[in-house]
Amino acid sequence: MTETALLVLLNLTWQIAALALLALGLAIVFGLLRILNMAHGEFVMLGAYAHVLTAQLGLPPLMAVPLCLALVGLAALLVERLVVRHLYDRMFDSLLATWALSILMREAVELVWGRAYRNVALPVEGVTELGLVGYPTYRLLVIAAIAGFFLVLWVWYRRSLTGVRLRAMVSNPALARASGINTARLSAMAFVTGCLCAGMAGLILAPVMAVEPNMGLDALIRSFFALVVGGLGTLEGLAIGVAVVGGLQAGLSAALSQTAGYLGVLILAILFLWRRPDGIYRRR
Amino acid sequence: MASIVVVSAALAAALLMVPVLGGDFLAWQIGLYLLYGVAAQGVGLAWGRGGFLPLGNAVFFGVAAYAAAMALRATGGALVPNLAAMLVIALILAAIAWVLAAILFHGRSDSGPFFSLTTLALVLIVAQLAGTTPAITGGFNGYSGFPPLAGLDPFGNLYYVIVVLVVVVSAALMALDRLPAGLVLRALVAQESRLQVLGFATNRVKAWAFAGAAFITALAGALYASHQGIVTPQATGFVFSAELVIWAAVGGRLHPLGPLFGAVAIGLLSAELRDTLPWWEVVVALIFLVVVLMAPGGAAELVARGARRLGWRRPITQHSPGPAPPSRAESVAGALQLHDVRLGAGSVQILRGLNVACPQSGILCVIGPNGAGKTTMLKAITGAMRVQSGHIRLGDQDITNAPPHAALGNGIGRKFQIPTVFAGLSVTENLQLAALAGRARGVDFLKPSAFGWQAEPLVRLLAHPGVPLAGLGTLDAGALPQGHRQMLELALTVGAAPRILLLDEPTAGMSPEETVLMVALIRAYQARTGAFVLVIEHDMALVAALQARVLVLHQGCALAEGTLNAVRADPAVAAVYAGGAK
Repeated sequence: MTETALLVLLNLTWQIAALALLALGLAIVFGLLRILNMAHGEFVMLGAYAHVLTAQLGLPPLMAVPLCLALVGLAALLVERLVVRHLYDRMFDSLLATWALSILMREAVELVWGRAYRNVALPVEGVTELGLVGYPTYRLLVIAAIAGFFLVLWVWYRRSLTGVRLRAMVSNPALARASGINTARLSAMAFVTGCLCAGMAGLILAPVMAVEPNMGLDALIRSFFALVVGGLGTLEGLAIGVAVVGGLQAGLSAALSQTAGYLGVLILAILFLWRRPDGIYRRR
Repeated sequence: MASIVVVSAALAAALLMVPVLGGDFLAWQIGLYLLYGVAAQGVGLAWGRGGFLPLGNAVFFGVAAYAAAMALRATGGALVPNLAAMLVIALILAAIAWVLAAILFHGRSDSGPFFSLTTLALVLIVAQLAGTTPAITGGFNGYSGFPPLAGLDPFGNLYYVIVVLVVVVSAALMALDRLPAGLVLRALVAQESRLQVLGFATNRVKAWAFAGAAFITALAGALYASHQGIVTPQATGFVFSAELVIWAAVGGRLHPLGPLFGAVAIGLLSAELRDTLPWWEVVVALIFLVVVLMAPGGAAELVARGARRLGWRRPITQHSPGPAPPSRAESVAGALQLHDVRLGAGSVQILRGLNVACPQSGILCVIGPNGAGKTTMLKAITGAMRVQSGHIRLGDQDITNAPPHAALGNGIGRKFQIPTVFAGLSVTENLQLAALAGRARGVDFLKPSAFGWQAEPLVRLLAHPGVPLAGLGTLDAGALPQGHRQMLELALTVGAAPRILLLDEPTAGMSPEETVLMVALIRAYQARTGAFVLVIEHDMALVAALQARVLVLHQGCALAEGTLNAVRADPAVAAVYAGGAK
């Protein structure tokens, strides 16, 4: 009995951690730039395809990391320069344009790599014994890495000079510009960083996801609705949101079915969009 | 209206030539794209006219297709019961859409992304349900084994039924553009908060647009079942919803026929090119992106712009003048009172226990330094900002935190600090809206004769020799200079003959002559109607010219009240303005 409970708890932690990783890039782009990046999921997908590209080029599996950063970073920079930078302060247009972009990226990847599902091997095989139960080592590593990364990010955002500049830009872009902050460069940096987070999420989670051109939609939906529930635009809101949404999905999936978990998240999201569009955590 | 007949007839003739010239298979193909096109016209109605983007309109298409297929199977495809069933299905879906939009837009004055994302979640839910309930929908294999409508051959006579639907829907959408309802929709997109102050519950306006969109999308979906002989979860899926938006955007969401042509053109090209050019889908996505970024009006707007450059002008319909019905706003009585009103935004407390007792009739000037809470007081009275505690009364009626659109019904008209008119609409159309405000109800919005309504306050205002609006008719209201814009907004505010007029800096940016005119107009309106007029002003000469009582606000409280001279002599007021000891 205790073993089952522990396993459920571990699975829950894994689901929440994975969702936090998926949603981080979207939270960064929305929180800092007020851009609803509908192509977020496609950057996740692009990151996952870095594995495929690495294998095609015959490179060692670890080369997928720099390849992913280069591929996603380049795509994000291009997108920022050509599309997104014209749409700051125009939330509705940015939603539509990034959505068009998501379709474009999906079709382009399908053209290059085809529609077939890809399997990505786990980089770290094996199971770690945790007293009563064993749990896949890769997942444990990922959970630990995500927790560490979030802590560092939170401290950095609060303490570093760039963090101060970013917060200045969020609260008053015009005044930030007048104070000598290059908001155009800062925005571009924030967008690329957000997309890189998405790409890395795709890279890290690829072994446990079905890698195919349409995988982005699911990633977008789940991350987006986690943010809706938690409150768009803050790390604290993100943490609460992924806990609620990840928990609900894992719980309903375990108790009823995968479909119930999926539907539960969607219905919760609709309720939040309707009654509490600012989410649970509201910055004062 | 004649142009609608001509365009509809041309559309019908062109579509009827298709089977003759292109053969049955082409007609079948185009029939499918026409159904898609009607569904895209639904998106065009919501997005282009209502100003909100539904990302999940395939819900109405798919659910109607499933329901129609079930009805066809149950009745063996008989004509009359199935036509009735299609109509009932579309009406039910329209009702659901109405309620959904009315609830989701309730209490907001934006069309932000939250609505789009709710519809996106909805389409995902419905697609998931359609795919995972094989007992009802046939699951991923689809629902099939039903006869087409009245046994019509999808490769033959069913095409003519589709043509009827297309022509009727297109004619109806073109007619809508020429009716008061269409004008209200365009005003909604241009300036939603102003429309609320004119007494329109904008969430219900959007609900009607969404219901209309759902209705025509559902009709197309219901026919789609007969056309295809099978309904799969894709018909209610996210990808199809996305395609509807692309067709509407590329074809042109602002023109009734734009989405239809978008769907047919992209559909035909895709059928031709999909197999020969593997990168065709990438091209379509790229076109969509370019349209979003550089040509938001789509192909239809480009065509219209070209036609304008060649000298084509949409003929201006003259509406014969007729008497306007009485306004809701003129029959209300009762003096306005604020009791201990407190209101804050974020950490800033703006109104701190404001008490004001206004007279039934007369003029009151409100003065006070910047940040005293003058405009906020007006926002509290009209429901634009929520009061945290205290009461606002009208006679013995409590109107605290009534929604913004209810203010006009309570007899309150408000002019904004920054003159707010419906940009993109002509001056004439702005004035027509002013005449509709508070007077039009129900079917009036579908009567062209309502355009000719002569509302008494407007007729008087326009007849005044100094008022420059009468000759400006076809100009875009957004291009007016400040003084004319102030006059136009005054017209919008007095159109419904409100008993309480709230004017926020009505002469800001005006020349001295215009200022004198404005004072005369305000005093004449007050004298004629016996209304109560509250004027926020910084200009002391103007306050003197209005010969009114003066209320001084300071830091969210009433500091002093009386005649201008009495207030001037008040040491507390002098301290505030001259910066003496607090």
